[in-house]
Order: sequence, then C-alpha cells, then structure tokens
Amino acid sequence: MSVRGTRVPAHLQLPIAGVTPPPTEKDGQRLFPTGNFRSFRPVYKDKTPPCNNACPTGEQIQKYLDYVKHERYLDGYLTIMEDNPMPSVTGRVCYHPCETACNRAAHDEPIGIRSVERFLGDYGLALAEDPIAGTLPALNGTTVAIVGSGPAGLACAYHLRRRGYSSVIFEALDKPGGMLRAGIPHWHLPEEILDAEIAKLLGFGGIEIRCGVRAGQDISWDELRSYPATFLALGQDVGRRLPVEGIQARGVTGALEFLREAGLGRPVQIGRQVLVIGGGNTASDAARSAIRLGGGEAVIVSLESEDELPIVPEDLEQARDEGVAFAPHTSLTKVLSSAGHVTGAVVCDARLKKDASGAVHPELVPGTEREVSCDTILVAIGQIQQLEWLPEHLGDHGVITADEHGRVEGNVFVGGDVMRGPSMVVDALGDGRRAARDIDRLLTAQEFQSDPPVEIMPYEGLNSAYFRHAPRVEAPLFPAAERRRSQRVEVTLAYSREQAIAEADRCMSCGVCNGCDNCYIVCPDVSVMRDARENGHYSIRTTYCKGCLVCVQECPTGCLEKVPEMDFDDPAEVTRMETAFAPYDGAHAEQSAFTRHLIEETIAEYDATRRQAAAANGKSTTHPNGDSGVSQ
Amino acid sequence: MYHELTVWSRGIIMDKEARDVSSCIAAAARALGLYADNVSDYIDDPDRTNCLVRRYARFGDSPIVDRFVYENPHPDWVVLVEETIIKAVNFLRGTPDGSGVLVINSAREPEYLLKFLPAAMQAKLAKFVVVDAVGLAEQRGSSPWMFVRDLGELAYDRMSTEGAEERLAIGMGIAAPLIGALVAASGGLPVDDVASQVADRDAMMRGVERHTVIEFPRPAPSGGPATPAPAVHAASAG
Repeated sequence: MSVRGTRVPAHLQLPIAGVTPPPTEKDGQRLFPTGNFRSFRPVYKDKTPPCNNACPTGEQIQKYLDYVKHERYLDGYLTIMEDNPMPSVTGRVCYHPCETACNRAAHDEPIGIRSVERFLGDYGLALAEDPIAGTLPALNGTTVAIVGSGPAGLACAYHLRRRGYSSVIFEALDKPGGMLRAGIPHWHLPEEILDAEIAKLLGFGGIEIRCGVRAGQDISWDELRSYPATFLALGQDVGRRLPVEGIQARGVTGALEFLREAGLGRPVQIGRQVLVIGGGNTASDAARSAIRLGGGEAVIVSLESEDELPIVPEDLEQARDEGVAFAPHTSLTKVLSSAGHVTGAVVCDARLKKDASGAVHPELVPGTEREVSCDTILVAIGQIQQLEWLPEHLGDHGVITADEHGRVEGNVFVGGDVMRGPSMVVDALGDGRRAARDIDRLLTAQEFQSDPPVEIMPYEGLNSAYFRHAPRVEAPLFPAAERRRSQRVEVTLAYSREQAIAEADRCMSCGVCNGCDNCYIVCPDVSVMRDARENGHYSIRTTYCKGCLVCVQECPTGCLEKVPEMDFDDPAEVTRMETAFAPYDGAHAEQSAFTRHLIEETIAEYDATRRQAAAANGKSTTHPNGDSGVSQ
Repeated sequence: MYHELTVWSRGIIMDKEARDVSSCIAAAARALGLYADNVSDYIDDPDRTNCLVRRYARFGDSPIVDRFVYENPHPDWVVLVEETIIKAVNFLRGTPDGSGVLVINSAREPEYLLKFLPAAMQAKLAKFVVVDAVGLAEQRGSSPWMFVRDLGELAYDRMSTEGAEERLAIGMGIAAPLIGALVAASGGLPVDDVASQVADRDAMMRGVERHTVIEFPRPAPSGGPATPAPAVHAASAG
C-alpha cells in the first residue's frame, strides 16, 4: 500500500510509541532521582591490609601483588622500590612478618609474599636499565654521613637519594653490605645478588661508599657530627663471649666471626664435629655452613626446647633436612682441650629462666654433666657493638639510645641493630627509611611526627564467599642431600612466572579496592560509575543511589563501607526534591514534556538512520510516512 | 482552630510508625469532639523499602470541607520519622510562613540538623523539635535497622497496610515518643487526651519530657525590624 500524499499526525509518527526511556538510557534517570531513599551512603574507603601494616618498610604488598596478578611486573617492581631498595635481598632473607599477618591464613594458607617479592626484585635486577634512575630528583647539594653499609645504612642512603640528598657511607669492612655479606651465608643470599643490589643503588649517583673506614678509628665522632646530618647504622658485629672454663682453646670461635670470614671469602677452619652454642638464626646459619664447609656434623646446643628456638620456621625445617642435630635444654659448662686445641666439651641439662627484671639466664641441673666430643665450638649467644668511641651517655650495653624518632641528639640519628639489638634485615631497612624521612624533616625545618594510626582490615571484614580455597604455591627447594655439600648452592629457589602469578592471584586485597567491578555489576540502580576499572575510579551517583547497600554487602575486599547519610554535612551536596517523586515543583507535568523531547530525539535519530540507509541504496526518501516521495 | 499534620517516613521499615502518629493524633482530636480526618493508607507506595511515604491527619473545630483532597495542602505540623528525610525533600511545601512545627527523630544536635534546612524552609518554621525517639522507644528485636520490630513482625505489618486491619497495637515503638514530642511542643492537644490513644503511654511520656525545641520568632511584618536569632530550650521536665 502506498502512503504517498498521506498526512500522518505527528503524534502517531513514533517508531516506538509512548515508551518512557529506561533509566539506563541517556537522561532517563532524571525522571526519577531516587537518592532521597537513602539513609546510608556507600563510600569507598581503603583500609590498610595487615601485610602492609606488618612490614617494617611499609611495602605496599597488596598493590604489587595485584600488579603481578595482571602481569604488570614493571609497575610491581616500581611499587616495591618506593619503600624497599633491595627486594632481591629481602625476597630471600626476610622473615616475612607480612606472611605471618596475612589474612589468607584464616582462609586457607598465607600468601607466599616473600617469593613474589623475590620474583619482582630479580625482574628489576635483570632490566637493562633501572627504571628508578629516571624518576629521581636532582641532587640538592646536601650530603649526609652514614656509618655502616648494612641494610639500614643502604636504605637510608637510598631514601635520602629519593629526596635529593647525597650521602657518604663509612664502612669498616673491605666490602659493603654489612651483615648482609658478613652475617648471611652465600647459600641464603648469594654474593652476586647483594653485589647487584648495591651496584644498582650506586648507579643512581649521589651515594658514595668508603670501605675500610672504621668509625672511632678512621673517622672521629666530631668529624661525623660536622655533616649536616648523620645516621649511625653500625650494626652489632661483635659476638658475646661465653664465660666458661677452657673457652680460650683453639677451635672455639664466635659464630658471627666464622660467618663473616666465610662471607668475605677468607679461608676458615672448621672441623667435622661442630658444637654450635646458642639457639637463634645465627646459630642455625653457622651450623648449616659448618656442615657445608667441614663436611661433618653440627649440633645446636640450646637452652630452649626445639619448639621454642627463635629460628625462622622454614630455616629450622631446612636445617633439620640438612642433618643439623639439636641438643635442647642443654648448656655448655666446660671446654675440654688437648695441646691447646678443643677436643670436647662438658654439657649438662639446663633451662632458660627469666628473673624478675626479665633478663634470661641458664639454670643448670646438677648431676647431669656429661662429656661430648667435638673439634670445633661456635658461640652464637648474641652480639654487641663496641661504642667506646662515642660519648659515654649515648651507649648502653652495646646499643645506642635514641628517642621515638630514632634521634640520638642534635643532627644524629640511629637505626638497625645498634639501636634495637639483634634484629632482622627488614627491620633495619625500615629504620633506614624512617631515618631518611626524619633527616629530611630536620634539614627542612619540619616538625617530627609520629605515623598516624591506621585502620587494619580484619579477615572478618572480607566477603570470604568470593575467595575460592587455593593451596599456597610453595617455593621450590634445592634437594637437601646435594645442597648440604655446597656453600654456594642457593637453598630456596625462585618462583616461575606462572607460579608468581598464581600466588599473587590468591591475594584477597584486604580492605583495598582492586577494581573487581563487583559493585559496578551488582548495583540495581546503575548508580556505581567508573571511567576505568581501577582503584580510585569508582564513584557513587548519589542523586540516584537508594542506599540499598547491596554493593557494600557484596564487596569482596571490604573497601566499601556504609556511612550514615547525615554524616555528610555539606549543604551544597544535598539533592532535595520538591515533592516525594519528582525532582522539583511541578515536575510531574514536566515529565511529559521531557519524555516527549527524548522521544523526538529518538525519532530524529531513527529518521537519520533511515536517510543514511536510503542514501546508501540510492533512494531518495527520508521518512516512511513523509510527503517527500517514497518508493514502494 | 485547624491543623494539618503530615508525617514523612520511609517505606516498609518505618511505615507503621508514620501511620501510628497520624492515627493517634486524629483519634485524639475526634475523641475531644473536634472534626478530624486521618489518611493513613493512601497516595504513597509503602511497599518499597526506604521509599518516601506520607501519612496525613487534619483536625479543627469546624467541619473539614475538602474531604476528598488527601494530601495536606498547608501542613503546619510536620513529623520526620527518620532523620535523613531532612535532606531528601521539601517537606514544608505549602506550610504558611512562621507557623510550622517540625518534629524530627534524631540523636544529633539541633544546630547540626538545621544546617540542612535552607533559609526558605527555616522561614516557615515556628518550632524545630528534635527528639531521640529511637533512644526513648522500647527496643524490640535485634536489628536497629528495623527499629522496634523484627522481620517477622514487619511481615505482618506489610499485610496491614493499604487498609488492612492492624495486627499490632497503635502507638508503639518510635511512634510513641514522636507523638509525645509533637503534642508537647505544639500545644495543640492536651497531652493526657492524646496519651489515652497511644499504646505505649510510657514511651510517649518520655517523648513529652525529653526533647529539644528551637523556637523561631514570628516573621516581622513587611518593612519591620530584622528578626532575632532563634532561641533554644530543652523540654523542662526531664
């Protein structure tokens, strides 16, 4: 049927008759702004994941795990480097307080954070050019003195460099690295890795290490204080002596001294029957190195029971696998020798007792003395630092006292073992970072401030239904029978790329938005908006959000929380409707005009589409009911 | 004498509370021999959670002639059963300048709440009354979201909307202290006569005794002196 010449009333010229646009189309939501239903407002508020909080250097662990999950390794490496200058080192030797705090432990098993950190650190070292260098500011001409090139000193130098300061590090040993080199065996932290990390830092420029310069001997206290600021990070590298009979015999040496000589590549003498006195990580490292270098046996003699030994659990397990024996609840009482060389020892049962002041001391059990044969005794009962060169009031039993900001006095700061006593590498790295921050505050006349309190995300705050149980990817180990024969074979091996991704994918992103899009999907009112699927890019369209809180309920990470609407007290943000169901007075009537306008637009678009289609087909019409001529 | 009461509330979770306020006021007025209307189930959609709903009552000493106009065109008594409604809508539309008594259920400070009322709305007020009705009500059930009922009771309530028979007593929960504060602050009806219509008389009397009023001065005649600042006082017997 032809419609040529037929006039169709305007109100019937509708491709879609009388349809109110759904809220998702164009300005459809203007018809019904339901924001005044809301008594609670969903708010994106990131919390601190427990791993981040537990890390002494404040690594943004959740963030770099998320990058690894998405195979954005460079971003992950840059994220670590904001806080920790040597992830390849901590990825091997850290005692991982982050994993201890990990909420995933309450779900199934904690994330293997240390291994992912190592993966990223090694990724960074393998880059042809370190990406950090280009991001550093120009040097500002101020040079800070640092004593000690261990983890605290190196971290301080790095973070000062990130703030534009130069530093000169005075190192007593012939090679830099402090306890990283002189206290941690090669099979735990390969020398090549440490050298590469230090070379990376030196490559940034502005960091100078002067080896063979011992504070108090080659450089005086007054010289150090003459710098604009000084950071003391001497460590504690003098082993405590054991006051027992016969201790002067040859073959009795400090475990620290033994590890230092081995770490510096000097020849060491070790027998085939080794007693290690003490129960900490140094004792474990010394016993395991003794087995490797001497080829014999090693027994750890400790006052503690095996379960109480203050050794990182996986190190303890590896030591057992390598054949280290344990003599718990035992004390050395006498060293036996012949011709000045140790031939055995007298030990007895003992317990570790604390007195009223908290100090520990052995309590021997009389009548349990017995002889054991040995040819080497390594003493690992703690360490101190020689501080006679400092003003007397600054030293206290081998440590330097400081205020809550690590400030000794004036422009002198302290950190690491020499401040806190024997502790872990990552603690020293954290001290170095904080010292750099506070030195900057001192030199720029800012006030010292304590870190603000943080809100730590508990496991109970997560929506655990969203996280499938998945076993932890354990770091591969070199076989025990083979590794115990070599000082140079690394015990713990690296994750493969696939393993790193799989492990990072287990992260529950506690309290931090990871762009999962769940809120965006579940919102029944199309009120969650985003321009990019990334943290910080989501927002709530408050004009329409009814406050049903489905998004809060369904947020896997707990970063969304409900806040009483009345807490938002900016009157400018109030969207007040004139009546209950229309945006303003008389809007019920205006809705029809508004709807009509939208429909007219729809018709115009429909017509334009038809015109284009007709033009493409070589036809001349514009509207099926129009009078401009339609070919039927 | 003639008053129009509009009670604003939220669908489902506080629908009955609003209904109880208008019902008790209208019943009390009728018992006093006044002419009264109560529109407790009309216009708004009470079965959408959190949706704005209104309940109406009006009473006076002369016959109400516009009986088929359900919405109050000039409400001088306004009750907000839930505090966020103060941000949501112009609940004083049609209220004559300087004559409105606004009662809000909130534990917040009156000055904080007033921040949300623009000058044009404040100009319509004679009294701004704040009562912590949730704190004064008898708490029942475990969910503060549902205020004084649990989900089982709420399900019964939904059946009693739209003209069905009430299954629970009228004038209970947060409605009772709200009625108490309204009656005490407005002075439009004798407290005891209203209390006889309220199921939870004790809670109502707590509302009578414990509320805060900000009084707004009468608007000056055209060309007169500037109006002084509003005066604040708490209910005396507390």
